[in-house]
Amino acid sequence: MKRMKRRDFLKKAIKVFFSIIAAAVLSVFIYIYPSKIKERRLQFVYIMDEDDLPRKGIRKVEFQYKADDKEVANRVFLAAAGGDLTAFSSVCTHLGCLVNWDNNKKEFICPCHAGKYDMNGNVIAGPPPKPLTRLPLKIEDGKVYVGIKI
Amino acid sequence: MGKIFDWIDRRFGVKEPHKKFLQRPAFGMPEKVNYSYCLGGMSFIYFLMLVCTGLLLSMYYVPSEKEAFKSVAAITNDVTLGWLIRGLHKWSANLFIIFIMLHTIRVFVSQAYRPPRELNWMAGVLGLVIAMASGFTGYLLPWDQKAYWATEVGTSMFGTVPFIGDYLMRFVRGGLDIDGATLIRFYSMHVLFLPASMAIILWAHFHMVKRQGIAKSL
Repeated sequence: MKRMKRRDFLKKAIKVFFSIIAAAVLSVFIYIYPSKIKERRLQFVYIMDEDDLPRKGIRKVEFQYKADDKEVANRVFLAAAGGDLTAFSSVCTHLGCLVNWDNNKKEFICPCHAGKYDMNGNVIAGPPPKPLTRLPLKIEDGKVYVGIKI
Repeated sequence: MGKIFDWIDRRFGVKEPHKKFLQRPAFGMPEKVNYSYCLGGMSFIYFLMLVCTGLLLSMYYVPSEKEAFKSVAAITNDVTLGWLIRGLHKWSANLFIIFIMLHTIRVFVSQAYRPPRELNWMAGVLGLVIAMASGFTGYLLPWDQKAYWATEVGTSMFGTVPFIGDYLMRFVRGGLDIDGATLIRFYSMHVLFLPASMAIILWAHFHMVKRQGIAKSL
């Protein structure tokens, strides 16, 4: 077997050393990345009785549900027009703040960066890239459920 | 120097290797320096203030989902002089960023970033980034509505990065949503990682200032 030159040995040793460092840095990032990420599933949550549904205009509905033993408060907007009922998520599609309905201007306004949506959830001003998310609604035995990802 | 210092120095041997550093540099100070050359030093004073008040705050602050807000309220209302320490920390943080900005403007205007000081400019920019990151992570710690929504917006921005956005956001949040995992993650960054990196950056920054001297003013 040919003997290795000292210079070559050192070169190799340095390569090994930096590979170990790289592996260590990589494992640090793997360590920091959350190990258990809960998968969100669509679940229907009770929000109100059918009799209370709005006939016309926009209604803000606040409700609570339990997830992981924690009480979570949420709100959706119900838009009623000509017999059609749509549920909008209140989460702004820009960076996740909660929008409000301005009844005088007839538009949804996000308090964070002044994103504006019209009655149908379409963007009319500001930075939001997408219209407001429409949520599935379910009515069973006179009770209204909204589908949200929990 | 004094007897006590000499006693320590005979054993610790810090004076001799630092002789050059402790002496006035041969090139001296440039003419026409003015008070705007103090802005960097002022930023450093605020950094020291932040370290000291931060150490004190960490004695009462509890970085958990249930306790964080309560403990901050307790610091403000119940702890003797707690309001003062928290106030100093908050205002020093604001002024820290402001003075770094002013210092950056001064360096830019007097063209002090030119060779051989480019590396020091880079170190300074890194310091600014760390200061901003400290501000961002510290903002969540009171765990109130403003903190929550500011962090919701701030971390959502990570999600807009192409391709890796989702991963990046979960990485920063420690999960899908902002919860206890995010809080303790931010706390750890705020009190350990960022101040430690800042200390190293500042050491390098001052080292280069001392080596290269103050740039000639225009």
